[in-house]
Amino acid sequence: METFELKLAEQRGSVAVLEVAGYINNEGGEAIAKEAKRLVDDGYRSLLFDLRATRIINSIGISLLLEVLERLLEVRGTLAFCSLTPSIAKTFQIMGLAQYARIFPDRGEALQGLDSAQ
Amino acid sequence: MSAMGDPMRVRVVLPRTARAELAAVQAVEDLGQHVAFPRDTLAEVKLAVVEACLNALEYGAGDVVVEFAVHLKNGGPWLEVAVVDHGPGFNPSRVPTPALEEKLRARRKRGWGIELMRHLMDEVEISSRPGYTKVRMIRRWGGK
Repeated sequence: METFELKLAEQRGSVAVLEVAGYINNEGGEAIAKEAKRLVDDGYRSLLFDLRATRIINSIGISLLLEVLERLLEVRGTLAFCSLTPSIAKTFQIMGLAQYARIFPDRGEALQGLDSAQ
Repeated sequence: MSAMGDPMRVRVVLPRTARAELAAVQAVEDLGQHVAFPRDTLAEVKLAVVEACLNALEYGAGDVVVEFAVHLKNGGPWLEVAVVDHGPGFNPSRVPTPALEEKLRARRKRGWGIELMRHLMDEVEISSRPGYTKVRMIRRWGGK
């Protein structure tokens, strides 16, 4: 149930798109944080997480996403999410994450928005 | 479901294994098939239940028991969840409300669980003493 998968799906200029599937818990969050660090170290400045296939996230996973956000803020980068379920969107809103991260309805709009911001 | 409208009850004892909280999530999913709760509402309940279970598994001792009741009477349907552990207990009024700006500067970025539960459920009541902690949460049909 809710097997975690992370895939680097697309790279466009300084934007990297990561598809996340399954439960984002401590293990999933650590995998995300590790891959995000590698991408930022490689020069990517916008990380877009496509959460279309993620229905459950927990606060430990979220705390690891905050580490990603912190790292991106240090390099004046952008953390973005798309295709959130309503419950995950609500969770991010409760935390105030929308003030620091960009949230898009789908990947197309996200790439358009991130492209135009470069 | 009882013909008399008594609550439908489900009890889950969480194993002490990785991702044990997902057993409680599965119970929410199963209950959702018996009650006309909107899927988005159930998804929010699942996130709140995960948080309560994580706290109980991390800080509690002994069995972590999750009890669900679906009430159809008294303004129902409404879903009641109780997560019980036997850890050292804590004072819920001393748990600080997290703020993202502070968390971004802090080394420890955790501490969101109770805040999320309070926003995702209609009622959250925590009673705790050494050896017994109970988090009782309610979500009504059409709540929040």
